[in-house]
Amino acid sequence: MKTRTKFTALLLAACTMGSALTGCQGSTGAASSSAQSANAAVSSANSQKPVSITVWHEAEDGIVKPLKTELDKLSPNITVTFQRKQNMSDALKLSGNDPSSAPDLYLMAHDKTGTFAQMGILAPVTDFISESELSDLIPMTVKAGTYQDKIYQLPVYFETQMLIYNKALMKKVPTTTDDWLSYMKANTDTKKGTYALVEQHSTAYYAAAWMHSFGATIIDGEGKPELNSQAMKDALTYHKRFVAYEPTDGEYNTDTTLFLSGKAQAIIQGPWLIPSIKSAGIDYGVAPLPTVNSTGKPLMPYSGVEGMYVLKNAESAKKDAVAAVLRQLLKPEAGIALAEAADEAPANSKCYDDAAVSENASLMDMKNTAQTAVPMQNVPQMDVMWTVTENALSAINKNNQEIAAQLEDAQKKAIEGIAAMQ
Amino acid sequence: MNKKSRPWFYSFPALAVISLIILFPILYTGYLSFTNMNIYHWFNPGIIGFENYRKALFVFDSGFLPALLRTILWTVLNMAIQVAVSFLISVLLNSEGLVLKNFYKTLLMFPWAMPAYVSILLWRLGIFNSQFGLLNHWLSLLKIEPVNWLNGNLSAFLCCMVVNLWMAFPFMILTMDGAIQSIDKSYYESAVLEGAGTFTKMTKITYPMIRPIIMPAVILTTFVTFKQFDTVYLMTQQVGSKTGADIHTVITYAYEKAFITSNYGYSAAISILIFIIIIALTVISKKYIREGGAQ
Repeated sequence: MKTRTKFTALLLAACTMGSALTGCQGSTGAASSSAQSANAAVSSANSQKPVSITVWHEAEDGIVKPLKTELDKLSPNITVTFQRKQNMSDALKLSGNDPSSAPDLYLMAHDKTGTFAQMGILAPVTDFISESELSDLIPMTVKAGTYQDKIYQLPVYFETQMLIYNKALMKKVPTTTDDWLSYMKANTDTKKGTYALVEQHSTAYYAAAWMHSFGATIIDGEGKPELNSQAMKDALTYHKRFVAYEPTDGEYNTDTTLFLSGKAQAIIQGPWLIPSIKSAGIDYGVAPLPTVNSTGKPLMPYSGVEGMYVLKNAESAKKDAVAAVLRQLLKPEAGIALAEAADEAPANSKCYDDAAVSENASLMDMKNTAQTAVPMQNVPQMDVMWTVTENALSAINKNNQEIAAQLEDAQKKAIEGIAAMQ
Repeated sequence: MNKKSRPWFYSFPALAVISLIILFPILYTGYLSFTNMNIYHWFNPGIIGFENYRKALFVFDSGFLPALLRTILWTVLNMAIQVAVSFLISVLLNSEGLVLKNFYKTLLMFPWAMPAYVSILLWRLGIFNSQFGLLNHWLSLLKIEPVNWLNGNLSAFLCCMVVNLWMAFPFMILTMDGAIQSIDKSYYESAVLEGAGTFTKMTKITYPMIRPIIMPAVILTTFVTFKQFDTVYLMTQQVGSKTGADIHTVITYAYEKAFITSNYGYSAAISILIFIIIIALTVISKKYIREGGAQ
């Protein structure tokens, strides 16, 4: 009996150990299979056998589908697989340098370019294609993915903010900020919950449009915070006059619900809201962002450029295949397909010659805004600035804190945070 | 194999697994806390001694100490209310002649059945939202100006406490209810014969009898409350939905530091400090229980 118990105990212990290590074995297996596929890719590139390329992304299916269709044209020589990756930024930090688990490419907005370039996991796209091949791209989009004079991103499409209004509620759209303020005073009733304009006033990405039109910036190109500049104080003081006539929480959910339910006449948002507006059956129009009377400049929003990055791991193993993928995405056809399927503004300027794109009001508005839009800064220090700036904006606009004091405090925290990065 | 080494041999697989999934991450975090692992030294971090600890403990304006004090206040208030209210509810649930007892108990367990993430967002968007929230809807019916519940430091702190308590009550009530049911009824019968009232029965019989049973649950909940992240973060700190209230706890503070600065060395130091605090609390509470048991 005793021997039997011992045997059972040993068996159970072995099972526990075995099952616990199964997970490890799985990843080891995956690692070895990835390593094998990497080796296979090298040899296949030489012998014209199919090469598989893995792309990580966090984009909607509507965006990935047309890109996949375009890249499928490279098969059977190259097979491209798109893999949705939650928290891709964190995943890249953990495994971006690990050939067994990292992808070959990833699709992402440009603002993390500096972070990943600094970590040393990225290969410049000009290692695969020549810089002259990028000449058809809108200059702003190329600048967005350039860090320390190296182009790390192949721009695919870009997004920026636009002023969308409900034609049934708003007959004439004001063109200057002073006119907007008068209009908001006359057409906002906070007790009834009806608004002339809603915007995410305390989110750094949106509030930056006001800052830029006053000549202020969150951070300069060298990574130095600029939150306590006089221009910044002026911009936020002026902006706060408008916030008084907007919903206090200024969150995406609140703003979009108000607009989609007809309780807000206009909204400053990105193109991602258009499908919901269409579904809600709203007769909408797109208007240029207003010009600030005192500076004579329009609101200059941030632009986010989504594009393809190449990980260093793929540089030696799959160079030709990666180059072919990048060239395929550079073709106007890819941008046009994306514009048609997902209402996204292509980075390739040639796409705008196509009627399907040029007749799309929101895309043309974004193309025009691209003239003044400011690409989000891509220096690593920006990671600190998003949170610090948003903390200050929320405290000022939502918690009614004093502007100058908050900006001084935010500047101090930004400097501390940036120092803590080192 | 001798008698002394045999237990080690049998428990080796379990110890190996525990070491792999619990001990190794702790040791690795400890190692990271002495390095300058950040995006500038991602693949070649160097040892920098106690620099990260110095930053965390002695840079007073860095936010760590205010967050620590706030966390202690948060834990004390939450636990005091949780234990007191749960005790009262449990006693009431065990009152003689109470009808629909099981129905009430099921209702009280409801917050526990919901995922915390869903509960918190429901409270945030459904109850506290300044535009569409239930509280402001009621205020508007009373012709009272709407309140921005989550924007001020004090009001946001209180709102977070309400949500946390709502989610925490079921566990404490369940534990206390079970403990109360285990008390022999004859104690109460004797007390009644001696002329004891409700208050005396509660303080002289119920509380001393359930104390050893509920103490592990109280200690466990204290730790969970101390390292609470979801409630404070999702209610006030979520990127893109910040409310303007600064009510960081040590965990949300550590999270923000870790993920915005990508300085894993500094974040690891903060994590180790929190770990040490929790270990210290465990040792103190164990001693307290032992002494309590001896009495």
